[in-house]
Amino acid sequence: MNQSAPNALEMVDIRKVYQTGNGGEVVALDHAALTIGANEIVALVGPSGSGKTTLCSIAGGILASTSGTVIVGGEDITDYRERELTTFRQTMIGFVFQAVNLVPFLTARENLLVVDEMGRRTGAAARTRADQLLEDLGLSEQRKQFPAQLSGGQRQRVAIGRALMNEPKLVLLDEPTSALDSTTGRQVMDLIRSEMKSRGTAAIVVTHDERITEFCDRSVHISDGILKAG
Amino acid sequence: MFLAIREIRRAKARFALLIAAIALLVFLILFQQSLQGGLVTSFVGAIRNQSAPVLVYSVDGQRVIQASVTTPDAEAQIRGVDGVAEAGRFSQGTFSVMADDTIVQASVIGYDIVDLGGPTTLTEGRQANAAGEAVASDADADIGFGIGDEVTILPGNYTITIVGLAANAQLSAAPALFTEYDTYLDAVKSRNPDAGEPLPNVIALRPMDEVSAQELADRVNAVSDQFDALTKSAAAAETPGVSQVETSFTLIFLLYGLVVPCVTGLFFLIATFQKAGALTLLRAIGAPAKRLVSGLVLQALMILVAGLSIGTLLYVPVSQQRLGSIPLQFETRAVITWWIVLLVLGVASSLVAAQRVLKIDPIEATTGAGVQR
Amino acid sequence: MKLALRELVRRPGRFVMATVVLTLIAVLLMFLGGLLDGLTRNATGAVRAQNGDVLVYSGAAQSSFLRSRIDPDLRALVSAVDRVTATGGIGIVQLGARVPGNGPRDLAGVALFGYEISPRGVPDAPPPGQAYADEVLKANGVEQGMELLVGPARSPITVIGFVSDTAYSGQGGLWTSPQTWREVLAANRPAAQLADGVFQALVVRGNGSPSALAAAIDNATDGATKSLTVAAAAAATPGVSEQQSTFNQIIGVTVLIALVVIALFFALLTVERVALYGVLKAIGARSSTIFAGLVVQAAIVALIASAIAAALVYAIEALIPPGTVPLYVSTSRVSTSVGVLLLAAVLGCAFSLRRVLKVDPASALGSAQ
Repeated sequence: MNQSAPNALEMVDIRKVYQTGNGGEVVALDHAALTIGANEIVALVGPSGSGKTTLCSIAGGILASTSGTVIVGGEDITDYRERELTTFRQTMIGFVFQAVNLVPFLTARENLLVVDEMGRRTGAAARTRADQLLEDLGLSEQRKQFPAQLSGGQRQRVAIGRALMNEPKLVLLDEPTSALDSTTGRQVMDLIRSEMKSRGTAAIVVTHDERITEFCDRSVHISDGILKAG
Repeated sequence: MFLAIREIRRAKARFALLIAAIALLVFLILFQQSLQGGLVTSFVGAIRNQSAPVLVYSVDGQRVIQASVTTPDAEAQIRGVDGVAEAGRFSQGTFSVMADDTIVQASVIGYDIVDLGGPTTLTEGRQANAAGEAVASDADADIGFGIGDEVTILPGNYTITIVGLAANAQLSAAPALFTEYDTYLDAVKSRNPDAGEPLPNVIALRPMDEVSAQELADRVNAVSDQFDALTKSAAAAETPGVSQVETSFTLIFLLYGLVVPCVTGLFFLIATFQKAGALTLLRAIGAPAKRLVSGLVLQALMILVAGLSIGTLLYVPVSQQRLGSIPLQFETRAVITWWIVLLVLGVASSLVAAQRVLKIDPIEATTGAGVQR
Repeated sequence: MKLALRELVRRPGRFVMATVVLTLIAVLLMFLGGLLDGLTRNATGAVRAQNGDVLVYSGAAQSSFLRSRIDPDLRALVSAVDRVTATGGIGIVQLGARVPGNGPRDLAGVALFGYEISPRGVPDAPPPGQAYADEVLKANGVEQGMELLVGPARSPITVIGFVSDTAYSGQGGLWTSPQTWREVLAANRPAAQLADGVFQALVVRGNGSPSALAAAIDNATDGATKSLTVAAAAAATPGVSEQQSTFNQIIGVTVLIALVVIALFFALLTVERVALYGVLKAIGARSSTIFAGLVVQAAIVALIASAIAAALVYAIEALIPPGTVPLYVSTSRVSTSVGVLLLAAVLGCAFSLRRVLKVDPASALGSAQ
């Protein structure tokens, strides 16, 4: 573990307020603060509507906060505009979405490569990395198959591979096991932990399932936009 | 019904684009119908709307009046054919004419007998009944060929006074002046004093009561290879260039007519694919398949009617215009025919999408497989 | 880019439907263009082939050979103009020709020209009674060496060779010496016969710009002549400019229709892919990259549609019996149509740009369906 590496995430005093149609306000996040170390895996637990997805979106540079500071991997993204946020996401963040969201007409390997094509375009280096990742994830045999031909667990693993392609500082996993049965879910969480740890990558795992937390270093609870340490 | 309309309101841009595409296509089709009608009328209107049932050209004339020449012997032979009730000379020349201070090309058409070559439908005024008088094509009334106007045949400065107007009476996309034969001869001589008495171009015939126009034409043709006898409508249709125009336009209409159902069908097919999830859900909660299909067909109908209406509305003012020397008309029959054809084809094309709707298995709502493709 | 191409290749179904519609529209565009070109060609070939700078008609002739008359005195005035280096007389008579082997009422329409200055592609004037025939007359069964009987007087004219693109007013040209033409005219159209030395029009060569030359000639004759550059004379052929403006308007609206259809199709496609775009944006794709992919797809669809349409239109041209439809498919017309369709494709896509821009990457997170 590299002790001089900056924190993967520092969120200070984050507020996110939405205006409703009839002039009212919804406070999705209320003075939230969260710090995650360079190699930490944190579970973010809370019921639906608690604001956990909003928090993840802000941490991932997909959503701007109403007020507060966001620093990811040492980079202050608080005042970034869309262009800069896009570049930031290309290089610093990996996403594993709840609905998996693989591109249906790309093979497993191509789904990994799409990250490079949309972003830095390193060509051969990306192809080597993709093949390596697929091997680490146990998907070498499936690399030419389409998502429709893969099982739920395999699809999730491809998604994890995609999230790791750009060597991110922080990976955000949104309910990664909700579509899987409990055995497969445990296998996937196992894999997530070992991959994150072996690469020294931090991760936030959003979940409403308390069982997931055993795979994480610590958990943070969120309810009605307010964070509490778990 | 409720869902169908809701969907349209929710996705205005898409449906607006579809309606725009259909409207433009309809407009173009109707405009070209007017164009075709106007072209043919402006070229051979004078022939279609003159009073002689049978016209006998010389074969060398190739069905162009002023290129046809009838010798005295030929004329005698034609007049002598069994079944001829009445015969008269029918000639035409193209002249440079000064009308309203502008020089234009115009045809002067001369007839011996007004019922054998004079215009059939007068919209204003009367037939010519003295030297120097003429009935003009009413499409040209505004450019110096109105009732009471005097036009001058150049270069001999022979003047003709317009005493009547006839509908759809142009020839070769130019104004036509129907005159008594002597007036026509005077016009020819004014241009070329050395012309002598030119031979008549065409002999116009009226068959006896018990003989049809086509029969008389056949009898005349049987007399000699040199005669090209045609009924009035055949003479118009077989004037050089007319059949080319009609064939070309037929091909064009075929293509345009195909585009409309293709675009409509494409739209609804894609839209159905996109709604597969929602449709499956509706089926699962008990919506009868027929209800969904009728919603689809209703949408198709609404869109087609909207597109047809806008296209027709755009067409109305354009159909009143003049395209150069060709006057356009609002072609009511064409409008009705195309409305029916496009509605039927458009709705039929949406039924391809309806087929997909009927194939939906409600069980897929539970597995979520209906959403994946 | 690769993403857009892969989608085209692996999910062709949807694109196939749009390609079919676009092919129809492309066929329409090329067919209309070919029709216009064919009509213009058939009407103006003989005029465009004239090997001079200016065509001179008489003043009141309204640029029509048949109503024009240039006598030797007028010709002398024209030749006397400073810039003029050469003048050649030209005359025409339009008749029906009897072709050996055809039926008695099945005449070929010919425009018989007498010329002094050879038009482009036509050799020097042949001996009396002989002519070069425009190849459109082959469709009427005319062959080299044949003797045609022209007009009511059955003037014999022997075809000694073929030339191309010299039609006039839809009739094939027969190119003869001035003497032959004069004789045929006198025999068949006695009322219109012209004395020796009198022509209907003059082909004039001169120095300086053709339009200045035309103006100089009309000035010198004090309006007794109307001179036009060869291009202007072709355009002044009755009906030509009207045909062109009408057809071009129809073509223009058809291009607009193509644009709307493409816009419609890609709008539908974009709606469907909003979720995918959200994911791509979340992992760092720019809107411009996504939109570029769309444009590439539209361009490819347009190109494929154009290629198929071009093949179809060439096939139609080959299959239609000669003389029924005046279709002339030129490479320049096909390429223009392809270019225009490509442009329409790119512009049609632009309609979806706003939607692509609006896609929120946050939509990828937290979406269960």
